[in-house]
Amino acid sequence: MKASPFDVSVRTHPGMAVLDLSGEIDSFAEKPLAHAYAEVEAADPRAVLLNFTDVAYINSTGIALIVGVLAKARTAQRQVFACGLSEHYVEIFNITRLADFMTLFPDEAAALSSAPSL
Amino acid sequence: MSLTDETAQPISRTGDGSTPVSDANDAWETVADFSIESRQGNERAAIQRVREGLAPLNLNARTLDNLSTAVGEATMNAMEHGNKYQEDLPVLVRVEQSHSAIRVSVRDQGEPTAEIEAEAPNLDLKLAGLQTPRGWGLFLIERMVDKVEVVDDHHGHTLHLIVYRRRDAP
Repeated sequence: MKASPFDVSVRTHPGMAVLDLSGEIDSFAEKPLAHAYAEVEAADPRAVLLNFTDVAYINSTGIALIVGVLAKARTAQRQVFACGLSEHYVEIFNITRLADFMTLFPDEAAALSSAPSL
Repeated sequence: MSLTDETAQPISRTGDGSTPVSDANDAWETVADFSIESRQGNERAAIQRVREGLAPLNLNARTLDNLSTAVGEATMNAMEHGNKYQEDLPVLVRVEQSHSAIRVSVRDQGEPTAEIEAEAPNLDLKLAGLQTPRGWGLFLIERMVDKVEVVDDHHGHTLHLIVYRRRDAP
């Protein structure tokens, strides 16, 4: 299977930073995700949107990395939203209860128009 | 599929190397049989090979995706906890079908893992820093398939992932 390396970039909207994630979220994603989230913290937005539209694969280590991002955001009282998850990963976010702590939207436009309290 | 804590099936474990319970009333036909090196990231290759083996069976997308996640996590556990990422110790994967079920068996060459009894992940505790963010592997495996059986013997540790075919009935 052709590898799809993880990549992440940060964009900002008023009050919200968007983390555009792509490829495979596994152990190899740890450093680039930490670096990107540090960039978010420096901007100090009120909310973070994790954009999974181009993510092909998330394993249990990737879930742990997302838990880490969520924990940091909550410590800073930053809201966390997610968009672009496939049906399968929506199911996994429900099973793991990640969906209890971050509102899931189908896409970025829906997130930006519906995200409360920004 | 088992999706919640309430419906998750307990893992059955056989410690004497005997035939797993799922063999009892079924005749199994092998549809794929391969090995992969114990190297970080290789679970993706295992998933791909399993999906190729299952392609002629026309499973629905949800069943295939859930089984893929279970295979990936089981392979990761086998490479990491069983074979300690020693590349010369392969993980063996066999895909079988019977009239009533699909079974994927993932075998390592290590000692029986302690992770099977590991603390269940609790997101509240993890977010509070009271539990490591990791530890989701077995939790996901149990919820992605209908049944999980563990067989330990003197030569290794095998996880049997079982999905009942009636789940694919229209």
